Amino acid sequence: MSTTTPATQSSNGPSANGSRATKSKPVEGAVRWLDDRLGVAKGGRTMLDKIFPDHWSFLLGEIALYSFIILLATGVFLSLYFVPSSAIVVYHGSYVPLDGQKMSAAYESTVNLSFAVRSGLVIRQMHHWAADVFVGAIAVHMIRIFFTGAFRKPRELNWFIGVTLLTLAIVEGFLGYSLPDDLVSGTGIRIAYSIILSIPVVGSYLASFVFGGNFPGNGLIIPRFFILHVLIIPLVLLGLIGAHLGLLVKQKHTQFPGHGRTEKNVVGTPMYPTFILKTTGFLFMVAGVLWALGGLVQINPIWQFGPYTPTRISYAVQPDWYMGWLDGALRIMPSWEFTGFGHTIPFEVFLPAVLFPGLTFNLFYLWPFIESRVTGNRKSHNLLERPRDRPLHTAVGATGVAFYFMLFAASSTDVLANFTQISLNTVLWFFRFAVFVIPLIVGFVTWQICREMSGIQGVGKRKRAVVVTRSATGEYTTVTTPPRPGDGHKELDAEPVPAFIESEPEPVGAGEGPGVRRISRQD
Amino acid sequence: MTATPVAYPVARFDDPHMLPLAKNPRRTERVVGILLLIGVAGFASYGGVYWVGGQPQLEGIFLGVGLFGFGFGLSAWGKYLLPQGPFVEDRHPFASSEEDIEAMTSAVVDRGTMVVRRRGFLGGLLAAGSGIMGIVLVFPLLRSLGPTPGKTLETTNWKAGSHLVDAQGNRIHRADLEVGGIATVFPEGYTADNFSAYDQTILIRPVKYPFVTKPGREDWTPDEYVAYSKVCTHAGCPVDLYQEQLYQLLCPCHQSLFDVLKGAQPVFGPAPRPLPQLPLKIDEAGYLVASAGYDQPIGPGFWERS
Amino acid sequence: MLTRRRRLFLLPALVVVGVAVVGLLSPGAVARTAASTGTGATNALDPPNPITYVKLPKSYIAPGEQLFLSNCSSCHGPDASGTDNGPDLVGVGPATVDFWVGTGRMPLGNPAAQPVQKTPRLSNKKILEIAAFVGSLAPTAPGYPDGIPQIDLKGASLSTGFSLFVLNCAACHTITGSGDALADGFSAPTLHKATAVQAVEALRTGPANMPHFGPGQLNDQQVADIVAYVTGPIQHPNNAGGLGLGGIGPVAEGFIGLFIGVGGLMLVAFWIGDRT
Repeated sequence: MSTTTPATQSSNGPSANGSRATKSKPVEGAVRWLDDRLGVAKGGRTMLDKIFPDHWSFLLGEIALYSFIILLATGVFLSLYFVPSSAIVVYHGSYVPLDGQKMSAAYESTVNLSFAVRSGLVIRQMHHWAADVFVGAIAVHMIRIFFTGAFRKPRELNWFIGVTLLTLAIVEGFLGYSLPDDLVSGTGIRIAYSIILSIPVVGSYLASFVFGGNFPGNGLIIPRFFILHVLIIPLVLLGLIGAHLGLLVKQKHTQFPGHGRTEKNVVGTPMYPTFILKTTGFLFMVAGVLWALGGLVQINPIWQFGPYTPTRISYAVQPDWYMGWLDGALRIMPSWEFTGFGHTIPFEVFLPAVLFPGLTFNLFYLWPFIESRVTGNRKSHNLLERPRDRPLHTAVGATGVAFYFMLFAASSTDVLANFTQISLNTVLWFFRFAVFVIPLIVGFVTWQICREMSGIQGVGKRKRAVVVTRSATGEYTTVTTPPRPGDGHKELDAEPVPAFIESEPEPVGAGEGPGVRRISRQD
Repeated sequence: MTATPVAYPVARFDDPHMLPLAKNPRRTERVVGILLLIGVAGFASYGGVYWVGGQPQLEGIFLGVGLFGFGFGLSAWGKYLLPQGPFVEDRHPFASSEEDIEAMTSAVVDRGTMVVRRRGFLGGLLAAGSGIMGIVLVFPLLRSLGPTPGKTLETTNWKAGSHLVDAQGNRIHRADLEVGGIATVFPEGYTADNFSAYDQTILIRPVKYPFVTKPGREDWTPDEYVAYSKVCTHAGCPVDLYQEQLYQLLCPCHQSLFDVLKGAQPVFGPAPRPLPQLPLKIDEAGYLVASAGYDQPIGPGFWERS
Repeated sequence: MLTRRRRLFLLPALVVVGVAVVGLLSPGAVARTAASTGTGATNALDPPNPITYVKLPKSYIAPGEQLFLSNCSSCHGPDASGTDNGPDLVGVGPATVDFWVGTGRMPLGNPAAQPVQKTPRLSNKKILEIAAFVGSLAPTAPGYPDGIPQIDLKGASLSTGFSLFVLNCAACHTITGSGDALADGFSAPTLHKATAVQAVEALRTGPANMPHFGPGQLNDQQVADIVAYVTGPIQHPNNAGGLGLGGIGPVAEGFIGLFIGVGGLMLVAFWIGDRT
């Protein structure tokens, strides 16, 4: 189909536009009311025209954003039932194996929420699934940002905010799943105490302050976790997410290079109505997946674990997935403890659980500066780069991802040993070496693949099928198939968002096909 | 007064930018309609299930499918029935001019120091005040949270003469455990949770023959009973997993392995130190009693541990 | 006249009478409950013992010897006193044998392999015959049950069983009873396939790396409570939240959250957005 060059007509004043625009008394009334008080009509129109580049990988951050909204909503519900107290109560609810047992009020309220509140269990599980997906989406989004170079000037600030959001999301998740005070999460809290304790010089003081004494403390740890989890950290998260999105609006989104896309423009679909509709639909789909998981797949069945007491323990205890890298590090670390000069530095805990995550997050924060130093590139970038075009950068990133992935896997040594019937000792020794060797192999292979790919013409582009026909006399002819619907669409030249988009169907005139809406109206 | 009007472009009716992506918009409209209908049906079904008492799996499938269908319909509407463009927006460079940067810098520097001549002295006081205020404001934030550790990390409630009791407070008698048996024990009178966290001790009767765990501990294991602190020296989990035939304690958290016959020496895994051993003796009535407390702090390492 | 109603009462009544008779006749049960002064303390005011140890008929011994010679003697020796390939079984008692053979762990083809639970190769009667034979070789060692346990779970407390299970069993078998790998190639098996009798036998005989819980530590009522918890909420867990994911916990949950949650939503994003 031939593409007509769009001939836009510029109008000379509001009256020319006004006579063509669709009239709507209620909407105009509302716009006037707001504009008289806030002056928002012009800015509002600009916002409606905001262009969003369309690539699918730009939607990963939205998965995180919508999971967060769902966490807020379900969290409000849960906070109306949860009792953040370690006071001992005796259970007399519907779950028989717990009947008559002593437990904290926090645990009892969670069991009651699961069994005695309508939709309580689904919402509680949806909240937990949403937390897992939230951190997972942040990780996937962060990986996309890294590999496409979207963190470069002028977006380093947004990268910092993002890394902070990741850290806070992980902490928030840990606090959240520790609130029910069940056997599995209580064990995690015990380990957290030992981690704080391992810090040289101040560790024993810090641990005693946070917990209110030697473990288990004075009973204030659950209420403190609660207020951090429902008030302090969500406020910081909200503020940072607002700043994150605000920066995105101010600096505009990045885009991949392509037809008509330059460093000085943004090409895509307008905010209203296209993007808003697609993204609202996405919100509902995220909610749908999480709600379905919340009702159909059990997560954290605390009634099966029983309440936490310091003498109880279970085997096959792992933290939630986003803490797994720390648990894996704790497991594979050799038992190197330094004792001397009247003091002890327990490196077997301090290194994997304090120094190593500290190094990790510092490295994340500093990355934009490290990279601009190493590459000498201090220009602003609004165009992204394909990962294959920067083999070394991509290889370093792949090595990092593989390294953390190996640590996650190391957290499940006992489950793996049981599943594969390989000795636990062998599995552990395997991970002690694999955690360094495998990322290096992954990095090298990635580097090679990227270098090869970037040398190939037309790699990554949509291929058109070529039909080869052989004539009766033996000659070959090749015919490239015509472009598919949507292919040619994107090769149109981009143009500014037009004055209005027709919403009422006009009578179809002669010569116009079905489905075509008339835009301009006869006066 | 109203703002200057802006010239907005107008698109022609056959502009390909305005055309929907769908090949057959009428059919796509129908599909979107069905999806939205699935959404509505899902919402209503969830409401119904809730009304009659609720059931997690039914609630999950109805509202889940409803929400997903509804969202799918909305996104399909946006993707297939609305103009996809491509449209363009210009990026306006937001960096200010050199004059503006110069003006901002000088405003910050000059205005603050215009009337002041002893800048260094006053500036130093300002910095010192802010710094000290910052430090002391941290005090209530941190120190008020709880007590200092004192000696709590270094002692337990086990003393010479403490009877070994189980969680219910019953004293342990020499005949109670079979060979190969284990039990969790506490000093008599200290079975409550806030003590048991560090007092908890594992009592094992590993073998039939007498054994010595380490030189100097010849009389610590009467009747082949041996007792170790149950708090793992790695990160504090209760070491409750006993492999009877290998005479090893395995910590369930990070899989440290301790040799029971050799003073709970760590033989595998991240634990750095053996589990402290509690010296035992048997009193005249046949009950197990500690002949002394632990000879070192129990549990994970910390700075003050020498 | 035996109306249907009366017939319904007849069977439990017979069971109670039968258990009482067997219980009174079993010297082992009487001796055990009276002797302990430790954690398993009981006194005359306690309810009747839920576990009784039934002695096997003497007629089982001869066929048992034949079965033993053809299935077991190659590793354990013709007189069960052990060889390099299998330990000495003299004095272990019938319950020990019933556990090992009844769970299919024995006969074991390769003596170096760790025995795992399988479908038993012999019928129940044959297993009891072998047990009777081994039990007849010598008086059962003290601390091992002298008969096959019969257990009545009616009066068991699930709540007490849960508490005892967490303190004594969860560290190896996990809190959901799904089992896990121990060090040096061994593993704590899943509890989902154990019968009540096998659970009692395991507790009272301490097979392989499992500690030995004698009556001085857990009395019979406590054992019954634990077994009631194992055959109840462990083997038939309350999975009100949906798919149980094998009771492994966060490892399985992480897979689902990442692959189905994040992965599925990434597919949705792939559909919504464009490819360049």
